[in-house]
Amino acid sequence: MDKGKRFDTIRARIKENFVLSQDKIYADKNRLDISVSKQRTPAILFFCKEQLGFIHLMHVGIVDWIEDGTLELVFMLWSPTEKLRVYIRTRLNRENPVMENMDMIWPQLNTYEREFKEMYGIDFKGLIAAEEFLLEDWDGPPPMLRDFDTEAYAQEVFHTRPGREDAQDVREAIIKRSQEEIPDFAKKYSRQ
Amino acid sequence: MREKATTLYLGPQHPGITGNMMVRLKVEGDTIVKATTEVGYLHRAFEKLAEKRNWLQTFTLMCRFCVPEPDPMEESYSRAVEAIEGRIVPERAKYIRVMMLELARIGSLLLWHAGQAGSTGLYTVGQWTVGDRNYILDLFEELTGARIYHMYIWPGGVRRDFPEGFADKVLKTMDYLEGRLKDYDNLMFENSIFQKRTQGVGYVSPKQIIERGVVGPVLRGAGIRSDIRIDDPYEVYDKLDFKIPTETSSDIWGRALVRREELRQSIRIIRQVIEKMPEGAIYNKVPNPQKWTIPPGDALARTESSRGEIGFYVVSDGSNKPRRVHLRGAAYVHAMTLLEDVLVGQNISDVSTIMNSLGTCAPEIER
Repeated sequence: MDKGKRFDTIRARIKENFVLSQDKIYADKNRLDISVSKQRTPAILFFCKEQLGFIHLMHVGIVDWIEDGTLELVFMLWSPTEKLRVYIRTRLNRENPVMENMDMIWPQLNTYEREFKEMYGIDFKGLIAAEEFLLEDWDGPPPMLRDFDTEAYAQEVFHTRPGREDAQDVREAIIKRSQEEIPDFAKKYSRQ
Repeated sequence: MREKATTLYLGPQHPGITGNMMVRLKVEGDTIVKATTEVGYLHRAFEKLAEKRNWLQTFTLMCRFCVPEPDPMEESYSRAVEAIEGRIVPERAKYIRVMMLELARIGSLLLWHAGQAGSTGLYTVGQWTVGDRNYILDLFEELTGARIYHMYIWPGGVRRDFPEGFADKVLKTMDYLEGRLKDYDNLMFENSIFQKRTQGVGYVSPKQIIERGVVGPVLRGAGIRSDIRIDDPYEVYDKLDFKIPTETSSDIWGRALVRREELRQSIRIIRQVIEKMPEGAIYNKVPNPQKWTIPPGDALARTESSRGEIGFYVVSDGSNKPRRVHLRGAAYVHAMTLLEDVLVGQNISDVSTIMNSLGTCAPEIER
């Protein structure tokens, strides 16, 4: 059976059991994309794993669509027997991102959820081991959100090392010390 | 009588630890009753930086996720970008990419020999294999201009073609390395200390394999013939003849035997690549990087590194910068939930041996 037909069969099996917001087969990219509500996501992930053979969770992507006010989660699944991919997409309200904990489906999801909680502020209800993951004593906004300005934060929190207050360009400092001219090719990179 | 539990902090500066991370161990006597991976010593915000840089500037960051084996990172990112854009890569460039990936695998496996043997007290192995790895780095330097971070496999192809006589040098280096494998066997695999320290230690169960998302040599060491190069082929791996070694013991010894054979298979692949490589272009030129926009879309490119599957999920919103670049490395699961599970019931002295065996690499966890 060719890939297109195999994807059709998989899509039909999923549609028998779930209401999908959107679905599309990309046979050339070897993948079926499905969009579902966050409430249905755990069940559809479980169904794909247990009933359709998509036992390998390749990756979970997260994208901040700040213009739409949503955070998109993309669960990328792989079937080792069929050699096909299924991507399950869901969107969360960016202002109040809440979702069920899903690490009982794949325990490896625990690491993703811990990271997304810290970096994007998603509250996974029922997440155990919700202790600090990467950030230590962090009380600021989730730093991977697009409206978090890393440079402004660094300038506010960290101080210039004594002797570096003038933030000189290294090349310029060396030139000044050695009393040599900056070569033409290097001038365009100069801060001046 | 139950022994009193003590908390032991292994790392982040412990010589047996595999990078800047820590494992908090709760031990009773010498036996581990609980293990918790602690990360956060190495976060460099590469993924955040990528959102502020154009597509080509981002490429220069990608190799830095992994010091021992940066090339799969470059290749995976580049292939994801090419998949979104629909950019065709010249055939010769694909062959060169495979050669680079396999050279990187050999270099990484030679380092693994050092770490794995060193963690059992066999330090000579590391001196030999790290010395031999220098011949691989010499090849990298001649081809790319750099020994560690090559920034060579970029979107559209590769950065430079072979210098004169380079193919011969590669083949001679392969001949030399193949001749050295018996020495590694003699010093490491036939050494009873190494065998006793690895056989039956660090067992990964079939249930853990599915639930934890285990990949690479750890998966193959448990008897599962799975490799992205075969299962979801990329570049020109489907035109090459090589074996996927497996073992069934699912312990450190089994995984070591898998890696031992993978080194041989990589040599075999490189010889085929040199033989079959066509003439022609090496680069499908991208536009001015400042003006280079990629159509909206997303792609996950998967690459088989020496530690197992890595994947770059790249998202474009149609602008000249990535909307999102998100790495999933093998260590993201191996060194977190899997390691925490596998260490329970093991002896303190086996922690470093197990960590090396699982392909622990802290930079893949906190990018």
